[in-house]
Amino acid sequence: MNENEKTILVADDESHILNVVSLKLRNAGFRVLTATDGQEALEVALLERPDLLITDYHMPLLSGLELCQRLRQECAAIPAIMLTARGYNLEPEDTARSGILRMVSKPFSPRQLLATVQEVLAETAVAA
Amino acid sequence: MPSLRTLYTLSLTALGFGAALAAAGAAGFEGRLLRYGGEGLLILGGIGVAATVALMRRSCDRLANDVSRPGALTAPGGVTATDTGFPFLTRATSAVLEAAERAVAEARLQAKELEIRLKVATAERQHAQAILYSISDAVLVTDPFDELVLANESAARTFDFDLASSGHSPVDRVLRDPKMIALIREMRQSHSRTGRRIVEHEVRNAAESRTFKVTLSSISDGDVPAGVVAVLHDVTREREVSEMKNDFVSMVSHELRTPLASIRAYVEMLIDGEADDVKTQREFYDVIQNEANRLGRLIDNILNISRIESGLVRVNKQAQSLSVIVKDAMEVIAPQAKQKQIVITEELTPVFYQTFADRDMLYQAVLNLLSNAVKYTPAGGAITVEISVDEPQKKVLTRISDTGVGIPPKDLPFVFDKFYRSEANSRMAPGTGLGLSLVKHIVEAVHHGRMFVESHVGKGSCFGFEMDLCE
Repeated sequence: MNENEKTILVADDESHILNVVSLKLRNAGFRVLTATDGQEALEVALLERPDLLITDYHMPLLSGLELCQRLRQECAAIPAIMLTARGYNLEPEDTARSGILRMVSKPFSPRQLLATVQEVLAETAVAA
Repeated sequence: MPSLRTLYTLSLTALGFGAALAAAGAAGFEGRLLRYGGEGLLILGGIGVAATVALMRRSCDRLANDVSRPGALTAPGGVTATDTGFPFLTRATSAVLEAAERAVAEARLQAKELEIRLKVATAERQHAQAILYSISDAVLVTDPFDELVLANESAARTFDFDLASSGHSPVDRVLRDPKMIALIREMRQSHSRTGRRIVEHEVRNAAESRTFKVTLSSISDGDVPAGVVAVLHDVTREREVSEMKNDFVSMVSHELRTPLASIRAYVEMLIDGEADDVKTQREFYDVIQNEANRLGRLIDNILNISRIESGLVRVNKQAQSLSVIVKDAMEVIAPQAKQKQIVITEELTPVFYQTFADRDMLYQAVLNLLSNAVKYTPAGGAITVEISVDEPQKKVLTRISDTGVGIPPKDLPFVFDKFYRSEANSRMAPGTGLGLSLVKHIVEAVHHGRMFVESHVGKGSCFGFEMDLCE
């Protein structure tokens, strides 16, 4: 897999998390876009059509779940990984309907997150 | 005038002789005189008997009339059975009268007993009703025909019906709650003699919606079902508290996990050598330190509010300069403000203006107010911290103003309530809903100061407090 061709959008209102995830992915060879709230992430996603979205659940303006649902409505079925500090998983129907393929609980390991990203991209490549 | 007894005896004698003579004549004796005499005596005897019977009947009628007069039997000198002159009639009448008097006396006793029983039953019912009305739970009692036979004021309030006019009315006419009616009917139709069913039911009216734990019990009279008792216990507040606790645990979990996530991620990046230059490494160490501090503050907040409120914290009041305390808090909050490019300006008073306060508690209060100002002010905003002194009134006023999102007017009265978070602002930043509650407690309960807030949506908020100056 040539990871240089893949673009990942990372959305989180916690700037430290945004920075560390972006750095980890850039170091792994991905092109990384960032957004600090749900609305900004929606605009960037519609414009850039990234290959994967990594979004926090709790964000201003639009939550991570609302962001994924809006992307579905706008016909941009972008596979997503949801980060959450809530300590519980979303309902399976919600995740399936919104294109959320994995839930990652905070605190997380950047190493494991990178592995999850590669796994999801491989799955979506096979599906395509 | 001969008595009835004499007339009766003479008539019977005449009748006897007449019959004997007439029979002898008819049997063949020749004497005409004998035969006619016998027939004459027979006729006279018959007339005598008829007259006696007529007189007896009249006596009986008179006796009956006399007896039926009020007080005839009991009044001194009233009618007595011997007046009639017939011994058997006298005896019979006396027996009847005695029996009637006994029956009347017995009936009076029974009536008295029934009266007492009725009074006891009425008192017991009133007692039961008093108990029923005094309890806060709503109680409805229905009979086998689903008619409401008993209810208390709480039930009338809950279901909004008139208690006075609801007795023995069909329950579906009294209650306008189809689910409650169905529950009562189902319980009655279940024919359960000792069964009990507990369900949760929400009662809605124009003003509000309340949740009740409904206990339905069948009552029976022997083997016959006699109705249903429904007791409704209001669990709305319990549910709210439980929900608040769940929200609080979820929020605390979120708040603790967020800085922890940064610490863990940056440590791992350093271990993995992903920060290759010294400058980046330095930045990572700073993040770890700041997030660890943030975590510490959060844990302090949670512990402090519980300890201060439960009175476990010893208050140590000394003369303190508010300016010094504010400066210390500003230093701690500066990295977070810098991260959002928020400028903090200060207008403080000389340190010789002092207030009698617990330094650690007041520091915690100021830090919470500053932290909120940073949280709810968008990037590039401004925060102003002012301390002013009103010497004539011997007061010192601290104001922390921001150019943040502001608080909607409907939320303003509740911002100091524990766990309360403005819905409009909860999306702006995570929080426990404890910070402002703790600040108010420190200022007002511990230091007898006065807390205030002013806010305009889209323009910003100003939180402040007033305390006494030291002499």
